[in-house]
Amino acid sequence: MTEAAVADGARERILAAAVERIASDGIDDVRIARIAMDAGVSTSLVHYHFETREALLEQALEYSFELAGDVRIGDEEGAAPTHTRRLAAMVDQCLPYPGELERDWILWVELWLRAVRHAELRPTAARLYARMRRWFAEAIAAGAAAGEFDKGADPQRTADRVLALCDGFGVRALLGDVPIERAREEVWALIAEQLGVDPAPPPG
Amino acid sequence: MSPRPRLDHVRRPAILAAAAEVIRERGLENTRVADVAERAGTSAPSILYWFESKGELLTVALGFAEERFYEALERELAGIEDARERMVRIVAGGAGEGDYDAALWMELWPRALRDPELAAMRAELDQRWRRTIADVVRYGKTRGEFEVRDPDGFAALLSSLLDGLAVQIALKDTDVTPQRARELSLRFAERELGCELRAVA
Repeated sequence: MTEAAVADGARERILAAAVERIASDGIDDVRIARIAMDAGVSTSLVHYHFETREALLEQALEYSFELAGDVRIGDEEGAAPTHTRRLAAMVDQCLPYPGELERDWILWVELWLRAVRHAELRPTAARLYARMRRWFAEAIAAGAAAGEFDKGADPQRTADRVLALCDGFGVRALLGDVPIERAREEVWALIAEQLGVDPAPPPG
Repeated sequence: MSPRPRLDHVRRPAILAAAAEVIRERGLENTRVADVAERAGTSAPSILYWFESKGELLTVALGFAEERFYEALERELAGIEDARERMVRIVAGGAGEGDYDAALWMELWPRALRDPELAAMRAELDQRWRRTIADVVRYGKTRGEFEVRDPDGFAALLSSLLDGLAVQIALKDTDVTPQRARELSLRFAERELGCELRAVA
């Protein structure tokens, strides 16, 4: 294995370990030494790759987002029978279902908090959100063009509303305040109303 | 010998206000008792007299900030007769321009994940906000200004929408400014309530 390949492998292992540990302990309490141990590297190598805790959080989130994103893109290329079902699957990807999605969500919430005061974290958040917005707006526009969704609703505005609602309800679901199925229903109810589709969400 | 006058009960609001300010500015993690003491113009021991831990400081400071928020909001709403105008005021209060304490609120979220007491507090504050919204909706219904089947359902939707938008505003996302957030929310409320709001805003 080349030196570069080894180096890349180490960085990815650190990120994978960081995602797990930050999700379970929170970015303030997580111990770098623990992440290093999980990744099978030295603490100084972690510090070498990630100068600050904020940098580690930011890149762990991006790493986690990309991983979840692979699942998302996979849904796109697979056989989504209708635009409605595809949109429903996309909503599901934005809610904190147990497993990878929930873990991704926890990192987001940690990032939200710190990006308020650490300006250097905001560009990453903005970039990832912009991708989500575009992803939804395109799916809505495509559905409208295909005649499945009402053409009246502005795709970008609808997308923004859907995402905000996913975030708002998602936080409550994450904190156990509402069942996640309710969050899903509420988001879908908004979509149904804006796009003129069946208010009963397609089966998840 | 006459007892010394006890000033502590007078100082508490000042301390809480200072704590809320410092936490808002620096985040709880970076807030030291010394910072709060300095802001309140008092000593660290008098802060520690009131709070066992920093976590408690957050809970109490947040409770205090929320009380002040509702006092001001309720006073304002009482002076507005038109239900649509009240709803516009609610949305403005929630869509993050100064009033709504997104910065303090967001301190709660990640901590509520791991601390059941903070989770309970968050749920309680959330409920209060939804109730406030639902009250305005019912008021509007009785006046015939709003047409909506389920005021509580609407309140749940609007508050979640506002929360989601508040995150974007706090992140200073250029695509979701406070103005855009307000517009998105007002349009949404208009459809649900069957009335014009943006003209009133």
